[in-house]
Amino acid sequence: MRKRFRLILAAAAAASLLLSGCGGSTSGDGSDAQTEQAGNAEGTESAGSTSSGTDTSGFLVVPLVADIQTADVHKTTKDYEIPLNIYDRLVDIEVKEDGSSEIVPSLAESWEISGDALTYTFHLRQGVKFHNGEELTADDVEYSFTRQLSVEGAVNTDFLAQIKGASQLLEGTADQLEGFETVDDYTFTITLSEPYAGFLACLSTPGCSIYNREATEAAGDQFGLDPSVTVGTGPFRLTDWTINDQLVLTRYEDYWKGPSELPGVVIRIVPDTETQRMMFESGELDVVDLDYLPDAVDDFTTRYPDQIVSGPRVGTTYFTMNQNIEPFQDVRVRKAVQMAIDRQAILDALYGGRGQVENGIYPHGLYGFNSSLPEITYDPEEAKALLAEAGYANGFEMQIAADSSASDATNQALEIIQAQLGEIGIQAEIQNMDESTWLATRNSGEMGSFMSTWTADYNDPDNFIYTFFGTPENTKLRSLNYSDTEVMERVQKARTIVDADERIAEYQALEEKIVTEDAAWVPMYSRTHSFAVSKRVQGFEVPWNGLSDCYFYGLSLSE
Amino acid sequence: MDKRKNRLRESTDAGAGAEMRQADRVYGAQAGGADGLQAGYADALEAEAIGEAETWKEQLKKLARQNKLAVFSAVLIGVILLIAVFAPVTAPYDPYAQDLVNRLAAPSAQHWLGTDDLGRDMASRIIYGARISMAIGLLPTMISMVIGTILGLIAGYYGGKVDFVIMRLADVMLAFPSLLLAMVIMYTMGGGLVNIFIALSLVNWAGTARIVRSQTLSLKEAEYVEAARSIGVKGRTILLRHILPNCLPSLIVLFTLNIPSAILSEASLSFLGVGAQPPSASWGLAVVRGKKYLFTEPWLSIAPCAAIMIVVLAFNFLGDGLRDVLDPYLKEQ
Amino acid sequence: MIKHIVKRILIAIPVLICVILVIFVMLRILPGNPAETMAGEHVSQAVIDKISREMGLDEPLYIQFFKYLANAVRGDFGTSYRLNRNVTGIILEAFPNTVKLSICAAVIAWVIGITAGLVAAINQNRILDRLFMGVSLAGVSMPVFMIALVLQYLFAFQFKIFPVSGYDSLACMVLPAISLGWNSAGSIARMTRSNLVEVMQGDYIRTARAKGLRESGVIIGHALKNAMLPVVTMMALQISSMLSGAVLTESVFGIPGIGRLAVNAIETRDMPLLQGTVIFTTILVIIGNLVADILYSVLDPRIREVA
Repeated sequence: MRKRFRLILAAAAAASLLLSGCGGSTSGDGSDAQTEQAGNAEGTESAGSTSSGTDTSGFLVVPLVADIQTADVHKTTKDYEIPLNIYDRLVDIEVKEDGSSEIVPSLAESWEISGDALTYTFHLRQGVKFHNGEELTADDVEYSFTRQLSVEGAVNTDFLAQIKGASQLLEGTADQLEGFETVDDYTFTITLSEPYAGFLACLSTPGCSIYNREATEAAGDQFGLDPSVTVGTGPFRLTDWTINDQLVLTRYEDYWKGPSELPGVVIRIVPDTETQRMMFESGELDVVDLDYLPDAVDDFTTRYPDQIVSGPRVGTTYFTMNQNIEPFQDVRVRKAVQMAIDRQAILDALYGGRGQVENGIYPHGLYGFNSSLPEITYDPEEAKALLAEAGYANGFEMQIAADSSASDATNQALEIIQAQLGEIGIQAEIQNMDESTWLATRNSGEMGSFMSTWTADYNDPDNFIYTFFGTPENTKLRSLNYSDTEVMERVQKARTIVDADERIAEYQALEEKIVTEDAAWVPMYSRTHSFAVSKRVQGFEVPWNGLSDCYFYGLSLSE
Repeated sequence: MDKRKNRLRESTDAGAGAEMRQADRVYGAQAGGADGLQAGYADALEAEAIGEAETWKEQLKKLARQNKLAVFSAVLIGVILLIAVFAPVTAPYDPYAQDLVNRLAAPSAQHWLGTDDLGRDMASRIIYGARISMAIGLLPTMISMVIGTILGLIAGYYGGKVDFVIMRLADVMLAFPSLLLAMVIMYTMGGGLVNIFIALSLVNWAGTARIVRSQTLSLKEAEYVEAARSIGVKGRTILLRHILPNCLPSLIVLFTLNIPSAILSEASLSFLGVGAQPPSASWGLAVVRGKKYLFTEPWLSIAPCAAIMIVVLAFNFLGDGLRDVLDPYLKEQ
Repeated sequence: MIKHIVKRILIAIPVLICVILVIFVMLRILPGNPAETMAGEHVSQAVIDKISREMGLDEPLYIQFFKYLANAVRGDFGTSYRLNRNVTGIILEAFPNTVKLSICAAVIAWVIGITAGLVAAINQNRILDRLFMGVSLAGVSMPVFMIALVLQYLFAFQFKIFPVSGYDSLACMVLPAISLGWNSAGSIARMTRSNLVEVMQGDYIRTARAKGLRESGVIIGHALKNAMLPVVTMMALQISSMLSGAVLTESVFGIPGIGRLAVNAIETRDMPLLQGTVIFTTILVIIGNLVADILYSVLDPRIREVA
């Protein structure tokens, strides 16, 4: 027994030696790390030096849940955070105190629109320098728009599709944009194929960023991938990109509005949202998007009351019904579904009631929003009666497709909807699909039902109604298969109405016809978008449309 | 010592990797009891080869004497299986009934493990989850072991090209990190329980095949098998009557020890989003869903995680105990 | 000896080709069009068709496979759909981080595993046996991601001993390495224990004991050396499970390694990247097995004789 005991001691000693050997080297590092992260949510002390060469101390640190695809905004519709900050657009959107928004000059100092609403004459700001020192001219704008429509892998083509000659460029039958005419270095005109009131708003989207001809041509397919050749006029330069780790933006000293107060931004890729939360609370992150932590909002609001910044999301969450699938061609069945879903209960349960129930297509905050639309009421009894009237007293079976890449809350909402539909006898089955199968099925027009959110690209009802109910093709792409071609023709025609009031009146009439009368989809809600921001960050604002991608120019850090 | 040297030589000659030798050592047991099969000339020789073969009963008695933990584990597994089978009776609530007003309720007399993010009773979900986790532990493991055993027997006994092809196939399967392969399969087929069964069955047969093959190889040389062959007994009969029964003890140990890894794989796959899908009550999915509430409602992730841990540990202890009594080296003592 | 090694290497080649084939076919029978994922939400069908053509997805499958194989031999695994870069480059960039994590984890697995196995073997079937085996088995019994989360929550978030995430200092590596290593420690402890128990019943141990050597001397001098042989080779074989575990650990701690790449590739349906990472990790496993095999024959004279 004694022998054995001694042996244990020997083993323990050997082990502790090994452990302390290991611990010895780490404890030094550990204490460094400790001082580095000594600050908690009060403020990030320092981003510290990183694997890259850039010294990032004093930089803002923000997370992304997944790495970006490219910083070339002509080739992506998902990753706008970098393009927003390293490029500029011709015009910007500015939200006023009362919540309304207007289009303001950016790279274009001023513009005139011809009487027939077809020709736009732009005057460029003079003396704007790209990151490579080149001066911005009309030629760069022509190059950017031509490339946006014709580059291999182009995806942001819809915003310019109204320009004369755009379709030829898209199809490859032309290599120049017919509707673009350069007058001099700082003046150019754009001619549309037909009047389109939303055109200026389109130009404000990140997709329509302006590139430098020389730098972009020289960069070839490395543009947007290699930071050193990715050049814009924006307030920050992309200086480092380590895949799956971080992107670094560094202040551009010669920015035409004057350099940002922020020396730079470190964008960390943190896929696990609990990790994001811990990093924020221990001071390793300055901003977290609470969209990814819906259940933490209450907790955060209590503990960091003055560090939560919220804004409306100009976006409608909607639940679809496919009119090609039995029995959804019957408007009574669609109305029954509208009435069977308790939208307020879902909003309360999953989002703490932060948001508003929507009754149409255009969400709160969008130009053209109609507050006097008839309310869709939660009424399972009436819904049952409608089903019985349509010949489905015993309900029916239906499929709901869930996109596994969507947020947890979205898929929880589907589970609630499934249970609520069950109350009126509809047996809904949730089918889980990965993102691309989900997209493919939806685009084929054969998806059962699904739920998703459309957030405004630009502040105009056209961006919503045209996307879903503009053409038979569009309505098939969303697996809605709305059948009223007359309504769709009116939606197309509304784009060309020049008089603003007349146009909005037509859009609102169409909205009421589609949602209230035809029950073509179930409008769910628009949610408030909240961010938690560390105390040292000044000037943080939620983007106007409520997207997650932030514009860092106006921010500063107080030490 | 002779016996072991012999086995090592055979496995090396056959070109199988070191893993096999490894597995051999870990789970190795070539002689076990085969009660009720001891008839006929070959069987008599077999009994002789084994020496004083212990009966199953004796071995289990030994297990009970030696290793209380293993016995306790076995009882625990039995109880959990009963609770799972009779879930409709044992669970206090419908595990799918939502109560949005009472979501994320703390443990109380009504809901003794609280309620989850949709207001469903957590205790009931864990009880129903036991069905799923036990099924995931037992079914794919059984299927993969049946596949592995058949292929291993064929490869070991017939040798030659058949052996080469089967073992290279096993090499291919073993070369993939198992979770990655399961991920790819699940990703291809989509999430859901049935697909988890298929993925785990496909991924794990190769290890069994190797062990069975190496045992078959050495048993093939045994006198009683050669004797049986010499009097014209058919290959299939020899495999089923003389070789397979002798592989059983290690297969049982292997089975017990493979169950936990299947249960854990389900949790990992669910974590990566390609495993069980809502509204399934699987434990893995519950841990994944609960981890969002680790800060505020920790029981939501800790309860299912503890359930996984208990079951996995129980199977591990039971497996270790079984190995201790079924392993021939230890038995020599 | 050399003949044995050459033979093993030659066998590895068809295995590798099969691995590539299996993965290639498996990923091609998926429904859906990768071009669609690439294009994203706000895009028309014409654009998607154009991208499909550009990606060569309209060619027959077997042509795609042979093209892929030919390029793979030259070390070119194609271009990532999502990241628009050369897959080989992406993998090589991520690889060092996974290696760093795995080495730290291996050290931890060794320390915990061998200590626990040793103590448990000496005290076979006593309380200390159960205790040490229990601790090391706990690591095998919890989902790796849960260990990672709990460690992160306790030691990074609550006690602030280590950073919550990161990978560029040793301090950052401690928690990920424990989450990953603890898992392997269980298997190592088990093996050490059962091998020691077995070896200690050997004749030469009895002889050593009879000669009056102290028990600790017997164990460390004789038994441990012999019992370690399979454990050493097991380390090389652990590469496979380490890489599986790294998939989870890297996701929790935000380490940009190979496991993260695989998960990313799955999330974004990035076929070339998924293919590349799976094939690359499989090559690592095959090399690991080869090394284990060679190591084993070098260390164990009995094998040398035979080979």
